[in-house]
Amino acid sequence: MSYAYLFKYIIIGDTGVGKSCLLLQFTDKRFQPVHDLTIGVEFGARMITIDGKQIKLQIWDTAGQEAFRSITRSYYRGAAGALLVYDITRRETFNHLTTWLEDARQHSNSNMVIMLIGNKSDLESRREVKKEEGEAFAREHGLVFMETSARTAANVEEAFINTAKEIYEKIQEGVFDINNEANGIKIGTVSTPTNPSIGSNLPGGQSSNSCC
Amino acid sequence: MFNRLKNRVLTSIVPDIPSITPSPSYSIGRPLPDKFQYQRPPFLQLLTPDELKASADHNVRPIIVPRDVGIMPFSCGYAECVNSGKSEWNEDQAAFSMNVLHHPSKDFPDLPYVYFGIFDGHAGYGAALAASLQFHHILHEKLVDIIELLLPTNVNETPPMFPLMFHKTVSKDELIIGALESSFYDMDAVLAEDRTKYRNAGGCTSVVTLFILGKMYVANAGDSRAILSQRLSKEMIKMQNDKPYPNGTKCDSDDYQVIATPFSFDHTPDTERGRILSLGKVHPDLMGGEYLAMEYAKKPMTKDLGTRILYKTGNMKGWTYKTLTKEDLKMPIVTGEGKRSRLLGTIGVTRGFGDHDLRALGSGLLIKPFLSCHPEIVYRDLSLIISLPDDNNIDGEYGILIMGTDGLWDVLENETVARITFETLKKYPNEKHRYTMVAQELVAKSRGRANDSGHWRLSDLKAPATVDDISVIVIPVYQYYKEFCEWEKKFFEAQQRREALRNNSNNKNSNNKNKQQAMPTATTNGNVSLNKIVENIDDDDEDDEVQEAKEENSEISDEIDKAIEKLNLNDGNSEEPTESTA
Repeated sequence: MSYAYLFKYIIIGDTGVGKSCLLLQFTDKRFQPVHDLTIGVEFGARMITIDGKQIKLQIWDTAGQEAFRSITRSYYRGAAGALLVYDITRRETFNHLTTWLEDARQHSNSNMVIMLIGNKSDLESRREVKKEEGEAFAREHGLVFMETSARTAANVEEAFINTAKEIYEKIQEGVFDINNEANGIKIGTVSTPTNPSIGSNLPGGQSSNSCC
Repeated sequence: MFNRLKNRVLTSIVPDIPSITPSPSYSIGRPLPDKFQYQRPPFLQLLTPDELKASADHNVRPIIVPRDVGIMPFSCGYAECVNSGKSEWNEDQAAFSMNVLHHPSKDFPDLPYVYFGIFDGHAGYGAALAASLQFHHILHEKLVDIIELLLPTNVNETPPMFPLMFHKTVSKDELIIGALESSFYDMDAVLAEDRTKYRNAGGCTSVVTLFILGKMYVANAGDSRAILSQRLSKEMIKMQNDKPYPNGTKCDSDDYQVIATPFSFDHTPDTERGRILSLGKVHPDLMGGEYLAMEYAKKPMTKDLGTRILYKTGNMKGWTYKTLTKEDLKMPIVTGEGKRSRLLGTIGVTRGFGDHDLRALGSGLLIKPFLSCHPEIVYRDLSLIISLPDDNNIDGEYGILIMGTDGLWDVLENETVARITFETLKKYPNEKHRYTMVAQELVAKSRGRANDSGHWRLSDLKAPATVDDISVIVIPVYQYYKEFCEWEKKFFEAQQRREALRNNSNNKNSNNKNKQQAMPTATTNGNVSLNKIVENIDDDDEDDEVQEAKEENSEISDEIDKAIEKLNLNDGNSEEPTESTA
């Protein structure tokens, strides 16, 4: 499938807040109640349409554990969007948002769009963080905010797509330097159905002539 | 003359990444297909083109680890990271295989073995990819061929040596080393054969570890490397002071010391100067009149013509004088020093697979005749280790084997790698993915981070980090040995049954009801303590086992003789294997 733009996202937040489940719900439309601890980084991708244009989202799902923090920091570079996720049933994951945000701001490009997500909205009875608190935090730090449920899929599409819309608007406004791939945006390649762009990017010709 | 100048200019400007003249393709007209479509090691489960593409992000260089640690043998660790843009794809590859060898008699439990391989590709990804997907099949066939020689079929008759059947004494170690060596030859031959059918695959280095029969064999061709990291108590080191580790270096770490022992030796034009100069001396035709099989103490200059100059040729260890002639102004066959040395001004690694069509920069001479696919093999008998791992040091003297491509070793010393290994393990004492964390940490340290201008720097942000692909395998050796001991126990139980059956049939008509106390006389390796075996035998179950065994046909002693006759072993022609007495 050809695309007009490719946007690179990173999903961050404490361990166990549902980052991998959000990604799985968005890319595969399914929920996996028991998910192994993410070690390192995993990738997902999906095509969406904004303003009649095909946009490919390449999503980097990171490990939330403290031990992986320094490696995750190196992944902010080159992301156009970030989903910063906390768990509405665990207050401490909300309390850690400031640290995550500092990290993200320090290591990313200044135009990166950050979406704040309060996940597990289906677990209303166990809620520890009010929706208003999330909204207030987002307002204070200039983030977009949404509560989602990876289990019921509520707002999951919206979270990913609204982030893309913001990035798209910034491109239209000329804020993003789209010619620098390190900003997490890539202009799509023109392709024909028989020669899909991803396929043609896959090794067909060994252009590499380097040696040892 | 112009070529020579060009070569020198090229190698001096870009000593690390010389661009190789694309070798003429064998195809006439249309391009040849890839033999294997590009992929990352299957255990990483990067299945979609999207994932593949994301993993090869040259700006960010993500560190990729297996999603499911459970599929790795002994929970071993693995991590990799793509180069910073010198080639589109990560040209390193890695593989492992856990397999068993069936004994034809069916009287013995299958013999398990585990193989790990790491391959650093150059001038294309094809050779490393083919090696990662095919080498273990070749090795398996070689091991199947010798299974009857590896396991004694008859307790009383088969010693671990075979002097009666052969003109030469053949040990099990030599059989396994031979299997590894011939697998290296065959893999290279496969690539040679493929070049008429498939796209030019380039070449690759190869470091392979085989765990079999309680031993660890490391076979290397090229400049990837394997080291054993051990954390030994100071008492233990004191005990071993009379047998020091070769090349071992010690680093302080609380009550323990961390030791790095090399299990492979890099093959570069510099380290293999003797072999290459000898070859050039004996076969000057291979140099096409363009190069010299000489090494000079001082670079020969036109102004020095007619004066004396110190030189070496062939396998010479020392220097001698000659008068400088015009001939000496040609390009030496080996240029540069250390990691920057080049063969025919082109390639920095002198052993491995592939490169059949690789031509020298400038002269266009074929390089392959100077390359070798012969591996150097180092092995370690794990049954010789006396200290048992304890809670405070669960990897004990068995240690952690670290295999990595030169992306790791170019920026981290062996001792640093060993230190990081144990520092990381200390942080994750119980986690199943602790060895993955080690691999990840080693890749992270050697990749470093990108500074504001996008240059990769080590953590101090000063020294340059590697821009090469990096791959690391971290193997907890004791985890293999534990599994081997389980197998060995089963093996001796099976032998007991056979022995019982044999005695039983000998005394068929007598009313001998005494329990069989046959002790194994042939062991899978000569160092197993008999006490351990006795402990492992459950007397109460023995009668039942004897009954079961009676029903089996065990008259197979002729079979081994037949099988051995079938085997055609090569005499000699192999380098003396080095044994690490760790």
